[in-house]
Amino acid sequence: MKTYEYNNSQALFERAVKVIPAGIYGHLGPSEGCFIPVSAYPFYAKRAKGAYVWDVDDNRFIDYMCAYGPNILGYGHEAVDEAAAKQFREGNCTIIPTEKMVTLAELMVDTVASADWAFFAKNGGDVTNLAVMTARAATGREKIVKFIGGYHGVAQWMQSLGYPGIIKSDVENVLAIPFNDVAAFEQVVAEQRGKIACLIATPYHHPAMADNQVPLPDFWQKIRKICTDNGIILIIDDVRCGFRLDVQGSDHYYGFEADLICFCKALANGYNISALCGKNFLKSAASSVFYTGSYWLSAAPMAAAIETVSILKKINAPQMLLENGRILTEGLVQKAQKHEFNLLVTGEPSMWYMRITDDESNVLHQRWISECVRRGAFFASHHNLFMNCAMTQEDIDLTLEIADEAFGVVAKERA
Amino acid sequence: MVSQTALAAINLHSILRNMEDLCDLDERAKQLIQNHKKAIRFCVPQMPPLTLSFENGKCKASDEAGAHCDIRLKFTSPTHFNQMVSGEKNPIPTKGFTSLGFLKKEFMALSQILETYLKPTEEGLKDRIFAEKSTILTAYTAFFALSQIGNYDELGKLSAGRIEDGAICIDVTQGPAVTIRVKEGHMHTEKGFCKEAKAFMNFADIQVAEGILRGTLDSYACIGKGLLSVKGKIPMIDNLNKILSLVPVYLA
Repeated sequence: MKTYEYNNSQALFERAVKVIPAGIYGHLGPSEGCFIPVSAYPFYAKRAKGAYVWDVDDNRFIDYMCAYGPNILGYGHEAVDEAAAKQFREGNCTIIPTEKMVTLAELMVDTVASADWAFFAKNGGDVTNLAVMTARAATGREKIVKFIGGYHGVAQWMQSLGYPGIIKSDVENVLAIPFNDVAAFEQVVAEQRGKIACLIATPYHHPAMADNQVPLPDFWQKIRKICTDNGIILIIDDVRCGFRLDVQGSDHYYGFEADLICFCKALANGYNISALCGKNFLKSAASSVFYTGSYWLSAAPMAAAIETVSILKKINAPQMLLENGRILTEGLVQKAQKHEFNLLVTGEPSMWYMRITDDESNVLHQRWISECVRRGAFFASHHNLFMNCAMTQEDIDLTLEIADEAFGVVAKERA
Repeated sequence: MVSQTALAAINLHSILRNMEDLCDLDERAKQLIQNHKKAIRFCVPQMPPLTLSFENGKCKASDEAGAHCDIRLKFTSPTHFNQMVSGEKNPIPTKGFTSLGFLKKEFMALSQILETYLKPTEEGLKDRIFAEKSTILTAYTAFFALSQIGNYDELGKLSAGRIEDGAICIDVTQGPAVTIRVKEGHMHTEKGFCKEAKAFMNFADIQVAEGILRGTLDSYACIGKGLLSVKGKIPMIDNLNKILSLVPVYLA
């Protein structure tokens, strides 16, 4: 199998570092994106269609990061793109919002089980932050409880003391407890009685660089009851899982109801929009928070979201993604076994996390992932992966072939 | 905010510790101690002592409490030690009164040579051989400072506390290597490469290390270019980088 080279990517990066901090900053860059080693990864895309991305060296990849989640129907989905294009022609960023805003809110309320209303912004962090502000406005309380390792964005309170740019007062009201530990939540509620505004959590625990954890039986039902009994707002950050487990929301998937639920990524198949949905009793609190942005009510991403959510419901996308994820991950585990590696798969199959457990340092895993990328399966070694609806059995078969050859390379080195 | 305790620990266990490497790298330093067999211990409250043992033109640094010493210098506080380093106060000798001449003459001369490497002039850096030695000593200073900041600085302790137990190996290709061992949030740097480390950070060459440590190269850009590479348990490296970003606060 041919392995890829990235001369054009590297040349472009040389230009970039002269004028852009870090060359490519953030999670798409070689540093935060954990390109290990960087020589195995492309840096810049030329085009994308369906399940594939082509880089500036014309290498084709099956993209199992799905742009970290937004690509759910396939890149360049014609119906979604046409809906957005039509709205661009009719009017996008205007002095007053369009009907699309109302239509999308109605669709969200009809789709998401726990939603009585919807508020739109741009990024996931916009709405996780709004959710916390809404909870504080509604309760008059200061403290935020989260789970250790839970990622909710990049605002100051979402980071930790010791990180560049973060000061003590940014994080002094954030309390972190272990996931799946009801007793720890009971304890913090008892210690901070009457002070906790909210618990914010992802529906299952999918931190980067760690095995993922699905909720234990009754975990969420017990947490729900403690929140209700103590006037604590339960916020589900469904930014990453949203529409990959259940179109009605991941709280519905796990059999409970959030008070506030945050969506972004898959909501509009790559168009920039996020949503906070909530229950009626929090609607006036959400209205009271001063929170807005220049592009938040732009109509084209709303048109894309309407089309995306409608299609996701129609094809029951989560079921397809879960099933295809199951087929792929079972195949990957078998390929690992063939080469005497143990590949541990955790989380939900539509957005699984995997790790070779045969060495403590992850170096073997990083080697295997890099050999997969060099052959056209774009995996990340540090983060959960994503399925999308454009992936076919042929893509899965090719991925397994790539994985097999990559395991062979690493096995040979190990020997 | 600079912690006097962390600063003293850096002055002691990363800067003064460099005498060991200085005497290997610099011929003048080697000559100065050629005929001396002396061990000096620096006792600073709140941290392990440092013993510098000079013998046969070599120096060995040790932070073991039981190491032999001929001269013992005591300090009343970390601040007192920092004041000695900046020339404002004197140490309190408690042993080796007849050997203080070595301290005033040879050791003082060694300190001055060390300073030329750690605070090089632009003119000095034009000499490639001098610049390389300067970078090696600067690299060791920074690598050993990591543990002191992780152990004594308020923000550094938070980052160190987030590093899981195990070893992190930092090396410069064809240059110095250190291993930082972390246990329950306590860090300890030792010289040498460790194949069994859980996480690795590699500088492609001494010039890259020089540029990053002196702040003339952007470390993120270097990662993208493959000049600074990491592998293994990335959360260990991430938290170490948070501590690395505090190094200039202390070494400026």
